[in-house]
Amino acid sequence: MTDHDYDELGLVAGLEIHQQLDTDTKLFCSCPTDLREADASTRQFTRYLHPTKSELGEIDEAALEESQVEREFTYLGYDTTCLVEEDDEPPHRLDQEARTVVLEIAQLLDMEPVDVAHVMRKLVVDGSNTSGFQRSTLVATDGEIQTDEGPVRVADLMLEEESAQRIEETEAGVTYSLDRLGIPLVEIGTKPDISSPEQARDAAERIGMLLRSTGHVKRGLGTIRQDVNISIADGARVEVKGVQSLDDIDDIVRNEVGRQVALLDIAAELEERGASVGEVQDVTGVFEDTDSGVVRGALEDGGAVYAVPLYGFDGLVGREIQPDRRLGTELSDHAKRHGAGGIFHTDELPAYGVTEAEVEAMCEAVGAGEEDAVAMVAAEAGVAEPAVEAAAARAETAMDGVPEETRGANEDGTTRYLRPLPGAARMYPETDVPPVELDPSEVAVPELLTEKVERYQDEYDLDAGLAEQVAYGTHMPLFESVVADGVDATLAAGTLESTLTELRRDDVPVADLTDEHLRDALRLVDDGEVPNEGLPELLTALAVNPELTAEEAVEQEDLGGVDESEVREAVVEVVERNADQVAEQGMGAFSALMGECMGALRGKADGDVVSDTLREEIQKRA
Amino acid sequence: MNPGDRVRVERADREYEGVLLPSSTADQLVVKLDGGYNVGIEREGAETEVLESDVYQIDAAQDETASSSVEFDEDLPTIALISTGGTIASTVDYRTGAVTARFDAEDVLRAVPDLAGRANYRGRVVANILSENMEVPIWQELAEAVHEEIESGADGVVVMHGTDTMQFSASALSFMLDTPVPIVFTGSQRSADRPSSDNVMNAVCAVEAAKADAAEVMVCMHASESDDVCALHRGTRVRKNHTSRRDAFETVGAAPLGTVDYDAETVTFDGEYEERGESELDIQPALAEDVELVKFTPGMDPTFFDHCADKAGLVVEGTGLGHVHSDRIEQLEELVDDGTTVVMTSQCIEGRVCDRVYDTGRDLLDAGVVEGEDMLPGTAKVKLMWALANADDVAATMRTPLAGEITEQSRPWNA
Repeated sequence: MTDHDYDELGLVAGLEIHQQLDTDTKLFCSCPTDLREADASTRQFTRYLHPTKSELGEIDEAALEESQVEREFTYLGYDTTCLVEEDDEPPHRLDQEARTVVLEIAQLLDMEPVDVAHVMRKLVVDGSNTSGFQRSTLVATDGEIQTDEGPVRVADLMLEEESAQRIEETEAGVTYSLDRLGIPLVEIGTKPDISSPEQARDAAERIGMLLRSTGHVKRGLGTIRQDVNISIADGARVEVKGVQSLDDIDDIVRNEVGRQVALLDIAAELEERGASVGEVQDVTGVFEDTDSGVVRGALEDGGAVYAVPLYGFDGLVGREIQPDRRLGTELSDHAKRHGAGGIFHTDELPAYGVTEAEVEAMCEAVGAGEEDAVAMVAAEAGVAEPAVEAAAARAETAMDGVPEETRGANEDGTTRYLRPLPGAARMYPETDVPPVELDPSEVAVPELLTEKVERYQDEYDLDAGLAEQVAYGTHMPLFESVVADGVDATLAAGTLESTLTELRRDDVPVADLTDEHLRDALRLVDDGEVPNEGLPELLTALAVNPELTAEEAVEQEDLGGVDESEVREAVVEVVERNADQVAEQGMGAFSALMGECMGALRGKADGDVVSDTLREEIQKRA
Repeated sequence: MNPGDRVRVERADREYEGVLLPSSTADQLVVKLDGGYNVGIEREGAETEVLESDVYQIDAAQDETASSSVEFDEDLPTIALISTGGTIASTVDYRTGAVTARFDAEDVLRAVPDLAGRANYRGRVVANILSENMEVPIWQELAEAVHEEIESGADGVVVMHGTDTMQFSASALSFMLDTPVPIVFTGSQRSADRPSSDNVMNAVCAVEAAKADAAEVMVCMHASESDDVCALHRGTRVRKNHTSRRDAFETVGAAPLGTVDYDAETVTFDGEYEERGESELDIQPALAEDVELVKFTPGMDPTFFDHCADKAGLVVEGTGLGHVHSDRIEQLEELVDDGTTVVMTSQCIEGRVCDRVYDTGRDLLDAGVVEGEDMLPGTAKVKLMWALANADDVAATMRTPLAGEITEQSRPWNA
């Protein structure tokens, strides 16, 4: 990947970070914020959505494009969801716990809360919200975070509801799961102060750390999503949605800058060539006897082939603008939005079974010469023509440079066209929820993770590595809570980080352990009910049988401690069985016999007691 | 500084720029920022500067000027759309922040483009109220309007109505009108300003029902939570049984009259109904307004029934088979003796009143109380208002089915 001179190009980028909060209940109802498996669903129903106007009488362009195809949405409900998620009951009041957490976040980001927060409806008609809108509230503005390359201003902080999870998409519509809908989500938008790919990643990391410092954010895949707004001086603002991993952010920025530079080069060349886009035409006749599987398939279904001449575009449609993505891919993305599988263009033809003769006949039919290109779509009737028209419209904008748009992040760090940029027209007030007066003085500033690392070392004598692991780890809130309850910090830290990691490596399903399991197991060990050595076995038993309580598991697995006479009995048995070795080696046999003793006691006895007893018994015989 | 102006507001080191909206309180400004978010700012200590006047005409924003000049199609039936207000035709009120009704029938056509091509429409506004504000004279106006529309050739009538008291209005029209064409009430449980509103499907299904064969007064609303089928309920047997669900309306004591399949656009009837054209159009709109509906509950103030002295009619929503506290019977007897018609219904909702089983019931009958059979209490109230104004023998009329409000046989219908 070539690195550009970002200063010279005038790169400006901003971030939008979406983070799920880990609250007891959802934002507008009392349902838990638990994710479910789709097959645990207890009910389902179907709906349609119809776009509506904002209170200023405007219809959002993005929503309009989305709604042009009437689709039926199926929703899966659970025994953990209610009528609010189903849009069959008005929302309850804005969740108090989420309000507190978001005000903490506002403080961490050095932001100013608004006097009165108004819940808005953000129009979303792709079905991911049963209501047809996402409820979103501007909570604070005007913050700042630090990065190695300087401060980045934070423009706004929103508290909103998470959308429903997309489960399946068919031709008829989309199936969504209601478990995720309504989980509190914060959206943090920075100003476009970011001027390099590295700084984008740095800023995202910093915001992530600040969010985790609250101890009230969800962890794991999909619980945090990054969007990046990117433009260069002569380019345009492009919003890249859904960057799943922090590690991808700098690549996304590099690739998008590369794309904009390449599009500007193409625009300059098109202008020089006096390029233009011609009329969309029906060229079905050219392909009547085609051997191309794709085209034949479409025609056999009663479809048609439409094409558009792109005068002066020869060679440019096939030019690479991102790794393995061409201008033609962009035209194709737009055609796909209108239901086609994609486009063919003359920079890549003959190929896909389309012959040279057919290409020539098509070019002749639409009046394209050697310096021109032609884009074509073969699809069912009613799809092919609008799809080519969408591709033609995209070719038209190629002559102006970079179009403003929303793009989706691909896994390889490239992006694809999603939809036009959304506007203010998609927002209107949520009249079912009264505005909320915010009082930031009720909320204490949370300790930063960086501060926690220091404190764990000073206060608990954890080494730097373990302190950092705990502070940045998923169990930080649990660690703080058990230590506050009196559990030894070293025991808690070692268990929550090392022991669980080791068990996971041994394929123990530790993900099934609840906070309750871990808390109780640690307390039993800390109280001396279960010896240290029995902890891995106890956690394993709980992970395998999560329905057990820690006490039940101790009983079932017989993990309770043994008294000294039982220890002595076991030790004497081992020593006597190995009498020859003891006689021969004396204390030299200690290590070998220690292992055997521990094995015989199956982790039920404290190692120090066993070793003292063994030493005594060997000495007696030596 | 007026709503619609572009303003910059500064308060306590913060600065907001956007369009000023009519604020909900005297203490706070509400500004729509460029991103579309609204924020509330305390007026106290706020400095406001108008950057540009009248960026938006807030009041006009919702009113489109394009008129719906739909061509008349001779092959299509003519459906009268009568609006009384309610959620189906509602929008956001900036003064209160709440949802209010402000569309006329043509606006509904614009709001529900899916109605186009199904019929020729005649729009008419009888009222613009939330249905909890419904009043008896509006029932009468509504009945007159429906009568006029049918008289002048409508092949069916759709009444857009708020859902809260829709069952009362549907009952009122059932008793006041004899109709040769369908009269279909519809509304929505989720406001029209949300993409998920049930207004589109309910309105489409109501129009399909109004084109169909049952010349009944019906309520057409979602049959389930899904956007697939609407149920057609008889106007005198329907009850709103849920505060918020789309399928809140249910027929009590029987299966619905029929269903409308939204996708297939088919109307199916399951039970008996009066066919299109069977009845001559007629109207008897007189109603006695001094009729009360009183629910008896344990611990009720004994003087409550005294307030009903001099009323023409009283419907009691009694317990069980149709009872009140034994000590109240004497009061009811006095009311009857003074000329008030007292009708007993049951708060059980399902089932028939029978005051011949227990002593309390027999004493009530001796006191002159009329058994309301299996009439819904609300329906009984409306019917009593009508009977007092139109019938010679009010008690006999109350026990005789006129518009499907009484079933003569209690057939088990829900297995």
